[in-house]
Amino acid sequence: MALAALALATAAGCGSGQSSSGPVTLNWYIFPEFSGAFVKSAAACSQGSNGAYEIKIQTLPNAADGQRQQMVRRLAADDSSLDILGLDVTWTPEFAEAGWITPWPDDVAKRVENDTLRSMVDTATWKGRLYSAPFNTNTQLLWYRKDLVPNPPTTWKQMISMAEDLAKQGKPHYIEIQGAQYEGYTVWFNTLVSSAGGQIVSDDGQRVTLDQSAVQALDTIHELANSTAADPSIGNQMEDQTRLQFEAGRAAFELNYPYVYPSAKADVPDIFKNMAWTVYPTVKEGVPTHVTIGGIDLAVGAFSKHKQQAFDAIQCLRSPQNEIQNAVLGGLPPVLESVYSDPKFQKAYPMWKAIFTTLKQASVRPKTPAYQSVSLQISYTLSPPSSVSAKKLGTLRSRIEDAINSKGLVP
Amino acid sequence: MNTTPRQRIGWGSANVIVVLIAAIPVLWLVSLSFKDPSTITDGSYYPHKWTWDNYSGIFDQPLFTHALVNSIAIALISTFFGVVLGAMAAYAIARLNFPGKRLLVASALLIAMFPPISLVNPMFNLWRTLGIFDTWVGLIIPYMTFSLPLSIYTLSAFFREIPWELERAAALDGATPLQAFRRVIIPLAAPGVFTTAILVFLYCWNDFVFAISLTSTNNARTVPAALAFFTGASQFEQPTGSIAAAAVVITIPVVIVVLLFQRRIVAGLTAGAVKG
Amino acid sequence: MRLGAVADPAIGTGRPRRALTERNRAERRLAWMLCAPAVAVMALVAIYPIVYAIYLSFQRYDLRFPGDKSWIGIDNYTTILSSTDLWWQAFGVTVLITVVSVAIELALGMAVAIVMHRAIFGRGVIRTSVLVPYGIVTVAAAFSWQYAWTPGTGYLAGLLSSTAAPLTHQWQAIPIIILAEVWKTTPFMALLLLAGLSLVPEELLRAAKVDGATAWQRFWRVMVPVMKPAILVALLFRTLDAFRIFDNIYILTQGSQNTRSVSILDYDQLFTALNLGVGSAMSVLIFLATALIAFGYIKGFGAAAPGQEVNR
Repeated sequence: MALAALALATAAGCGSGQSSSGPVTLNWYIFPEFSGAFVKSAAACSQGSNGAYEIKIQTLPNAADGQRQQMVRRLAADDSSLDILGLDVTWTPEFAEAGWITPWPDDVAKRVENDTLRSMVDTATWKGRLYSAPFNTNTQLLWYRKDLVPNPPTTWKQMISMAEDLAKQGKPHYIEIQGAQYEGYTVWFNTLVSSAGGQIVSDDGQRVTLDQSAVQALDTIHELANSTAADPSIGNQMEDQTRLQFEAGRAAFELNYPYVYPSAKADVPDIFKNMAWTVYPTVKEGVPTHVTIGGIDLAVGAFSKHKQQAFDAIQCLRSPQNEIQNAVLGGLPPVLESVYSDPKFQKAYPMWKAIFTTLKQASVRPKTPAYQSVSLQISYTLSPPSSVSAKKLGTLRSRIEDAINSKGLVP
Repeated sequence: MNTTPRQRIGWGSANVIVVLIAAIPVLWLVSLSFKDPSTITDGSYYPHKWTWDNYSGIFDQPLFTHALVNSIAIALISTFFGVVLGAMAAYAIARLNFPGKRLLVASALLIAMFPPISLVNPMFNLWRTLGIFDTWVGLIIPYMTFSLPLSIYTLSAFFREIPWELERAAALDGATPLQAFRRVIIPLAAPGVFTTAILVFLYCWNDFVFAISLTSTNNARTVPAALAFFTGASQFEQPTGSIAAAAVVITIPVVIVVLLFQRRIVAGLTAGAVKG
Repeated sequence: MRLGAVADPAIGTGRPRRALTERNRAERRLAWMLCAPAVAVMALVAIYPIVYAIYLSFQRYDLRFPGDKSWIGIDNYTTILSSTDLWWQAFGVTVLITVVSVAIELALGMAVAIVMHRAIFGRGVIRTSVLVPYGIVTVAAAFSWQYAWTPGTGYLAGLLSSTAAPLTHQWQAIPIIILAEVWKTTPFMALLLLAGLSLVPEELLRAAKVDGATAWQRFWRVMVPVMKPAILVALLFRTLDAFRIFDNIYILTQGSQNTRSVSILDYDQLFTALNLGVGSAMSVLIFLATALIAFGYIKGFGAAAPGQEVNR
């Protein structure tokens, strides 16, 4: 014990001795990014800070659940080493409510919100205050085979009947969507409810607001899952399985993130040459679709000893240059609207227009500190997709209600 | 026992079946780890296109190399301390009469029965306070502790079998107690201690729950925990090849230990199972 | 921890009780000294978290709502015990996995033990190959099974159905979980049984043969009664372990499609929902269930309890 105290004292001594001259270390907890784009921007920002700070990347596990667990466990123990946190877009309310992240000062918050996609700002805001800064975003498009579908559908009804026609002709016809019992299924449901004009939970995260629009969403899932248009294994499809089915030539349509495009280019040139994209189909004719937004927000840990430097560093990490670099190297769509008109970005992202249109009217998943439980209840209640019907609405409502109030168990 | 040729064939083929069933899932991992990325989803049991890339890939990453060093060192150190503490207690249990013996044995069993996942959160908080979170010590302590019931049980079973009268006989022959202990008891006890050490090592090597919960960086993360940090070509793609290669690498020490010490492990697992 | 190689410890009974002599007092002091480090470590590292978990189980304590922390008595327990679609469902799955896998392991383990006992050549080879599943890291083995059953990747995926992924259907996933569990732990069972087998006197078997007993009769009437203590110990330890199955399910299905065991469900409450109150209460319930199993074996079937003085 005495030894530990001594070690601490020495460490503290070093720290205080250096703070006047050397840079402070900012730990940046972020998902493992494979291209090295984050390493580059972290180094560039550290250098550009003129010795104010040094960003050290702390890699989190690959899966979102693992990322959240690692950070939560540290924050629950008031860990001061968490300076910058890479949060999934659904985590801000939870972390803010628990007092684990620091709200942005008003003046800096204004700067962050300026030029940033509105829906992304929405994910980063809780109870009227900005708690995190949008860092990158993502959204799904409709990918289809030009050779099978000359004119892409604009509604789910059209798409399902096109696929059924293709099935009758014995051609590849599946509609690939994420229907496994996991977060991706909640993303689908949220997109359908929002596109039908509804919302799952009220803005303050207090009430369940599923109504007639939810019935339409459930009907759409029911209709697809019980038609020949559905992949028989829809109940276990995640992003990557849907990609592989499309690449294997079994599908005519695929709803997925833009990463499928470079992947098809590398894996299956034959299919790639017929691969085209358009915006996600709507639920109601004439009503624009509101696709669920994804991505990462950066927040400053509540127990960090270097909050000022961390706010500065985050602003640097999400500078237009770094946003373009993340998009070009790592395939992560930017959150700054101005970047979408940059020719360098447009060249790397041929589908930028469709993405930008989608993002401008994107929807946000339920904002509540108990989001994790809400999402588990949704994907649990609606599994498997073939069992879904409007009758499930009552159960769904009461389970989400319990989840919001952290009552009962989570599946 | 005399055997007819027919019996010989029967037992022989039974042997082959057992060996095959044990080997198939392990060889499948080996096969996956050698598959080229383009053939990893071909579903074939054998690799059609061989590559070392998965191995060179993981050995290029500090994530894996550090984890490997951590795994080896942490398992060895925990085994050493766990067995020493276990041997002391086991000696007392096997040889000495004292009140509280029954209680000690019962509470060791209770500890082994509590679901480990529920111990992780309080331990995490305690470790942070003590400053041993994400250090070797932070993993060595739980491994040592939670392998104690195992080593106490196995060792006390072994110690019961040692003919302790020999110690007295040596003393009568004029040996000092220390000499008697060194020349007579240690050689008799060594096999049991060694066997227990192997079993404890395998336990530490295997652990997943503590490793994933009490580490956060390359400082102390072990291989089973590091598997969760491998990445595919993008956020949504599975790093199948790297995981298979890493799984093979952490299986190699197990195979070596088993090959070298199979007789002892069998002795350890069966020690006292039936002896009253 | 996995109970691993814990066999029935033949714990010394020491010498018969006498009046406390100086020698006895010295012996006692030495014993306490020897046990002190182990006891201290177990108390500090294990007892504190266990007591803390029990304490939390009576609290409303959700990390996401730190302001709501309060004493709520047995509410967490009633919440859990009244949840049919989650707790009792997981409980049923756990019992099913436990009963089926332990039964299969017993049968297979017995067969493997006999094969090992009668091994004519390559005793070392067969011993080694039986020990590899025992020693292999559970997570590594679970990945092997997961990839084997993944459509497109695995060699077994097409076996149960040609269109869908077997791991995503409850009634296909549970047998796969059992298979993975059986493969990994049958060696442990086999080795404990092997020890019992070696106690069966060869002359007894020969005598039975001379009397005209069939192989089956010799097995049931001669071998099994002699092996009973070994069988019970093996069953006890495997049942306790199987009931807390975690790693295999965590990798294979993450508990989706109602393949959750109680440990997986507990993990979800603690680490996903961050509801420490409910999660701790569930830990206590799992602990009580395992204690009940141990008690049942010891009292009901007369399995030798650890620490019990064995008189045979």
